[in-house]
Amino acid sequence: MPRTLRYAGRRLLAGAAMLLALSVLVFLLLRAAPGDPVDAFVNPSVAMSPQDMTALRERLGLDQPLPVQYLAWLAQAFRGEFGYSLQGTGEPVLPLVISRLGPTLLLMATGLSLAIVLGISGGVAGAVRRNGAVDLGLSVLAFLGISSPAFLSALLGLYVFSVRLGVAPSGGMLTPGVPFALGDLAAHLLLPGLLLSVGHTALIMRYTRSAMLEVLNQDYIRTARAKGAREISVIARHALRNALLPVVTLIGSTIGIAVGGAVFIESVFNWPGMGLMMVTAVRARDYPVIMGAALVIGAFVIVLNLLTDLAYAVIDPRIRVG
Amino acid sequence: MITRRSLAQITIAAPLLATGLGRSAGAQAARTISGGFDVGPGGMPGNFNPMTATAGFTWLTLYLEPLVIYDAKLETVVGALATSYSVSADQLTYTFKLADTRWHDGQAFTSADVRFTIELAKNAASGSTFAARLGAIASVETPDARTAILKLSAPNAGLLDTLTKVMILPQHALAAIPPADLPRHAWWSTSPIGTGPFKFTRYVSGQYVALSANADFRGGKPQVDSVVNRYFESTAGAVAALRSGEIQFSYVEADDVANFRNNPAFRVIEGNSFVVNYLGFNQEVPVWKDLRVRRAVMHAIDRAAIINSLYGGAAVAANCGYVAPAFVPAGLDAYPHDVAKAKALLAEAGWDKINGAKPITLLTYYNAPLAINVMAAIQAMLAEVGINVVPRVVDVPTYNSLVYAATPDWNSFAMVYAGLQNGPDPSIINIGLNEKQIPPAGANIMRVRMPKLSAAFDAALGETDAGKRPARYQDVCKVMNSELPWGTLWVTARYGIASTKLKDFTWIPAPAGGPYEAHPERWSI
Repeated sequence: MPRTLRYAGRRLLAGAAMLLALSVLVFLLLRAAPGDPVDAFVNPSVAMSPQDMTALRERLGLDQPLPVQYLAWLAQAFRGEFGYSLQGTGEPVLPLVISRLGPTLLLMATGLSLAIVLGISGGVAGAVRRNGAVDLGLSVLAFLGISSPAFLSALLGLYVFSVRLGVAPSGGMLTPGVPFALGDLAAHLLLPGLLLSVGHTALIMRYTRSAMLEVLNQDYIRTARAKGAREISVIARHALRNALLPVVTLIGSTIGIAVGGAVFIESVFNWPGMGLMMVTAVRARDYPVIMGAALVIGAFVIVLNLLTDLAYAVIDPRIRVG
Repeated sequence: MITRRSLAQITIAAPLLATGLGRSAGAQAARTISGGFDVGPGGMPGNFNPMTATAGFTWLTLYLEPLVIYDAKLETVVGALATSYSVSADQLTYTFKLADTRWHDGQAFTSADVRFTIELAKNAASGSTFAARLGAIASVETPDARTAILKLSAPNAGLLDTLTKVMILPQHALAAIPPADLPRHAWWSTSPIGTGPFKFTRYVSGQYVALSANADFRGGKPQVDSVVNRYFESTAGAVAALRSGEIQFSYVEADDVANFRNNPAFRVIEGNSFVVNYLGFNQEVPVWKDLRVRRAVMHAIDRAAIINSLYGGAAVAANCGYVAPAFVPAGLDAYPHDVAKAKALLAEAGWDKINGAKPITLLTYYNAPLAINVMAAIQAMLAEVGINVVPRVVDVPTYNSLVYAATPDWNSFAMVYAGLQNGPDPSIINIGLNEKQIPPAGANIMRVRMPKLSAAFDAALGETDAGKRPARYQDVCKVMNSELPWGTLWVTARYGIASTKLKDFTWIPAPAGGPYEAHPERWSI
């Protein structure tokens, strides 16, 4: 156990260095992008004088040299502050990002849980019924899922389930003006969660199927069957557990990709998460929010990757971390 | 009989309905109007500070009020918190008689609040976007609680228009906050108070704002209990919410109107955008110096065809910066589509020598599918006469960074397809065309240096006789039409969709969201 802790500590230190590098990279990329927050604020159809724009830049500190701007931001970040949003009435970044983290985690957890359950079940079913009608049907669905970009499935889902069938809310997380109810939250969550899971379900299904097929041909599976183990036990205890390793790796790496998918889903469904916030912030060149959100997402991915690596040791005792 | 469609609905809806989840879709509290009030170009979602607002006034005036406001036709400035106003003959004194009313917290509204607000709005440290426009106000006098007098150092033709956007704020609630802290103070999004028909209730970050009825409103208790302004990342999201019945109103793109036109559940609201679209000729780029080339561009573009086939007729051709009849004199050149004439003008100007077939960047920040089709049509029409333009569509910050750059690359915006607000106050386009407004002084981004045009604007802005002002702007229009500082194209219509469940609901697609007399206290559902 101490070895695992040392390993985790080393990884976290490396993660902190990566976050610092990430902050420099994001800062430079933002400044390299054309236009700044003031340029984004001015509506070209409602003219504003460049003098007023200059005054705004001075007020926001955008007239300072880049190293000064970065170091000022870094000093704030070390104090646990990330400045204020440059949009609207300027909410503090950290509480804003944290308030958006919950909805994104909820959406991603729902999407990934659905993807894991459906993907692994489908993959196992396909492998067990290899080349049968079930396998063929699931393969077709998986290929459709893999080929559907998140924005397309999101728009189609919105149109079919909300506009045409009217069985799901068209957006948001809760019905405005109505007291909080778990059912209301679930109603708003189900459709975006399901649509977020589509691509991941397909991937997990294909990986599980292929890993299961490989494992099902192993000698120990034959031995288990020869010893009279029930088929369900062979599949679940002997085959699936050994087939899960590559699938867990995939799920770990899927989390980072799911953040990207969540951006589309959140934008289409107006889900008040990190993705929607990032899209709005990029459009407004809201530097503090983009920096804060990038760091939080970066930290999130680093920690989850570490947890995934640690999970290997739990699933397969032969693997030792550190 | 179960149809194939209903069977599909049952199959897909079953899991939702079985858990009782689907039923909450679209559920709203009784007597609540929900809408996308900040959707589209007139909106400014998430901004509650009227001092920093450049749009979104439709929503702000549900709980805040300016001294004066446009009527619902955007023709006349009438009293709001001021019951009446008068302007001295020399245009240097504006006297406002104030309404007897109270703030949402019960405190009395007085002339001290007016003075506090004007002084705050003049102070750039408060983040006010009105500071420059209110610069002519030398002092605010308050002889009694019901009278406020603005003394100007020089006449300002646009002052009343500016004042329609300055929401009067409560001195007793804000005086203790240093102006520099106001731009991002939590007060705006947590506990703002105004004098309007609704009270601020709740803001859920990035989701919605809710207002509740102000039973003590001097214009009468509102007909509904609450109004909810939902935020949408895209107009498509708002359209989906409209069609599913979750909201009762939203701005929509022109492309979406057809989906609602013949639907009895909805009412299509059409109005003037008050934005003139134009092709800007960057005067720092030598190819546009010759008037014959600019005239050739105008003759090359078949505006009627674009208006009819792409805008579906929902636009008015503009032969100068204005389309309002009061500012458009008779006898303007309509620049009819004439390819032969365009080619002849180019040949006369020696186009082959001054540019030839070299591509010219046609920059725009308009990125809706309709605008991209318009750009493609313009490109094809100009190519027909031998002018090779290459459209470049960028986002707003990129566009502004190019045209306002301290050391501009002129060829990156040799030509622009853009728009500028041209009303209701006609003086507003001065900032984009007068030579005195060349950056960094103003927003004359095409660096138009035309003495006749600047003189015409100066004369119109300095005209103290309101009766003569339209004629002065007609002079501006004449010069624009003959000198072609821009290739003016059209003024399009903009649209809103309202559920027919809404009664006495007033909304117009006013530029920047107005404000205008919407009488929200009369809205019902």
